[in-house]
Amino acid sequence: MRVRRLRAREFRTYARLDVALGTGLTVVHGRNGAGKTNLLEALYFGCTGRSCRTSNEREVVRFGAQATHVDLDLCDADGVEHTLSVGFEPGEPKRLKADGAEVERLLDVPARPLVSVFLPDRLELVKGPPSLRRAHLDQVIAAAWPARAQTRRAYGQAVAQRNALLARIRTGRASRASLPAWDAEVARHGVSLRDHRAEACALLADPYAQAAEDLGLSGTSVLRYRPRTDAPDAAALAAELAERVDGDLDRGFTGHGPHRDEIVLQRDGRELRAYGSQGEQRMGLLALLLAEREALAEARGALPLLLLDDVMSELDPVRRAKLALRLDGPGQSVITTTDLAHVPGADAGSVCRIAVRDGAALVEPGGGGGMRFRRVPRPLGTAVEALTAELAPLTGLASVQRAWPDAVGPAIAAQAEPVAEQGGEVTVRCRSAVWAQEVELMGPALVAALNASIGTERVRSLRCTAGAGRPGDRRNR
Amino acid sequence: MYAPPIQRLIAELSRLPGIGQRTAQRLAFHILRESDEDATALAAAIREVKEKIGTCEICFNLAEGPRCRICLDDRRDPKVICVVEEFGDIIPMERTHEFHGRYHVLGGALSPIDGVDPEDIRLAELYRRVTGDEVTEVVIATNPTTTGEATALHIADELHHVAPDVTVTRLASGLPVGGDLEYADEVTLGRAFAGRRRL
Ligand SMILES: Nc1ncnc2c1ncn2[C@@H]1O[C@H](COP(=O)(O)OP(=O)(O)O)[C@@H](O)[C@H]1O
Ligand SMILES: [Mg+2]
Ligand SMILES: [Zn+2]
Repeated sequence: MRVRRLRAREFRTYARLDVALGTGLTVVHGRNGAGKTNLLEALYFGCTGRSCRTSNEREVVRFGAQATHVDLDLCDADGVEHTLSVGFEPGEPKRLKADGAEVERLLDVPARPLVSVFLPDRLELVKGPPSLRRAHLDQVIAAAWPARAQTRRAYGQAVAQRNALLARIRTGRASRASLPAWDAEVARHGVSLRDHRAEACALLADPYAQAAEDLGLSGTSVLRYRPRTDAPDAAALAAELAERVDGDLDRGFTGHGPHRDEIVLQRDGRELRAYGSQGEQRMGLLALLLAEREALAEARGALPLLLLDDVMSELDPVRRAKLALRLDGPGQSVITTTDLAHVPGADAGSVCRIAVRDGAALVEPGGGGGMRFRRVPRPLGTAVEALTAELAPLTGLASVQRAWPDAVGPAIAAQAEPVAEQGGEVTVRCRSAVWAQEVELMGPALVAALNASIGTERVRSLRCTAGAGRPGDRRNR
Repeated sequence: MYAPPIQRLIAELSRLPGIGQRTAQRLAFHILRESDEDATALAAAIREVKEKIGTCEICFNLAEGPRCRICLDDRRDPKVICVVEEFGDIIPMERTHEFHGRYHVLGGALSPIDGVDPEDIRLAELYRRVTGDEVTEVVIATNPTTTGEATALHIADELHHVAPDVTVTRLASGLPVGGDLEYADEVTLGRAFAGRRRL
């Protein structure tokens, strides 16, 4: 899936933006503050319906404007045209459309390019908690093997159920009788999840080492999976869970299993996360994204749209050339730079150059972009395999809301919905005071379930309010 | 607002699943406009279904009278029991013509998140049936969801204790993961039946 044209209205610095992208590399250049990153963000927003830069999405609406729109023209491998559009007015639900039809989430839309994004101020993936790397890896897995996306969800559900049972046992509301069944269910999905992660990491290891070397990360770079359990099969993992049940009952949640895995990025035997300099962490992140791109290409011939913000300035000329060589291969990438001379080969005929200045972006003549196409109507429901992955972590309330129905189950989801999130405290609006109390009681278990399913320790507590309005009115599961 | 009887009708209708306030109002007005016979027929049908249809005292399937037609049918093999979550799961199973035993409707699946523990579904009744009768095999056909799978494992565990001689089997996978039996097609279900495995 290729993005042919990006149009936006009232997005950040842009009153209007209309640019055609190249089929391979597109270079966005302009001085500092000109709006280069804004353009990348608009692309990301159009592909995913979210910002890759901020969790406070109202920031993307241009100062003084009411609402913003981003439209993408796409083209799939068979040359069939598609469109995606995102309309956003702060305080209102987003209006998302695929091929002109309204959709609930862009993530479910088959005609959606995968996006892999590198922003210099987004190093959490390397230096943040393991949960971010787990979530990220699982997204890569879902992109490489769509059928496996289900495993993480099922595992999350099983852990959430087991946690709820632990809480009920602890408060004397349930017996231990059904605990072995939940251990077995957690273990069954847990072992699959671990095996999928191991396979993905094995696939990433060599490309990562190679990319890190190309980018000039000195020493030996290693990407390694460190699973929490090396149980040979589900029965063995179930036994490990059973052994630890007293500790789990004390804590009120499941302390063992793949939701505690780590994906280690090392340089000369030391973790980048703890010992890497800012520059080394940046190179580690970039190497990871490049490795994933290669792994995805190998696993299913799908290359994510690679968005690289301001990477060249960090690299010496040799590394710049090596990176440029990689970007010259198949797949679409967009790179920003203050200085066109920092991107070797930027003057080639196949490269699309976009000059950005004063809130306007101009495709320069002679580049690989700039062509105009007429839209061909396309039969709805063309069977295309769904791409469900996103290669950058979700932020804020959106991730909580997305995880909510699966993490808490349909019964609770019908009665309570998260409406706000601040500093890890999630406000949950419940249909009645009784439900507010019930949800409050289940607090720790639900927090653990949410975190397991989001894949970060983002949520710390729930605050329940009983209020009017029917949960789920605006959103489906 | 409307006269109290109309308000009462709207309130009752809006309690039905999938019926909001607006739809309830539309239905109420439709009933008001209907002929007396039509409206009375509707009321009679509702009364009749509640008077005549209950749950089977043996398997908890829907029944006209104390026992359902499957439990009353002598040709059905009493030695094999198929355990399902809801009575809605029986019909797709029957359509496969693969199963000739009897059923047991649990009325749900284990789900601690929703506060559903083993005591909240009809497990005690199942164990009683299995230990009391001439049962030789229990086929567990709960949904292939997380809750359905855990329920199956729990039942298998318990049955190994209370009825060690009884064979416990599970429908073969091949059913869509995370799916509902109610929506599985006959061929898939039939295959799942033929290839059931021991638990
Ligand atoms: N919502 C907004 N409306 C208008 N201008 C904005 C908005 N958000 C950020 N900006 C402006 O965008 C500029 C930064 O653009 P950016 O794309 O980050 O620059 P760069 O080209 O250096 O990547 C800043 O001048 C900032 O004031
Ligand atoms: Mg920038
Ligand atoms: Zn019966």
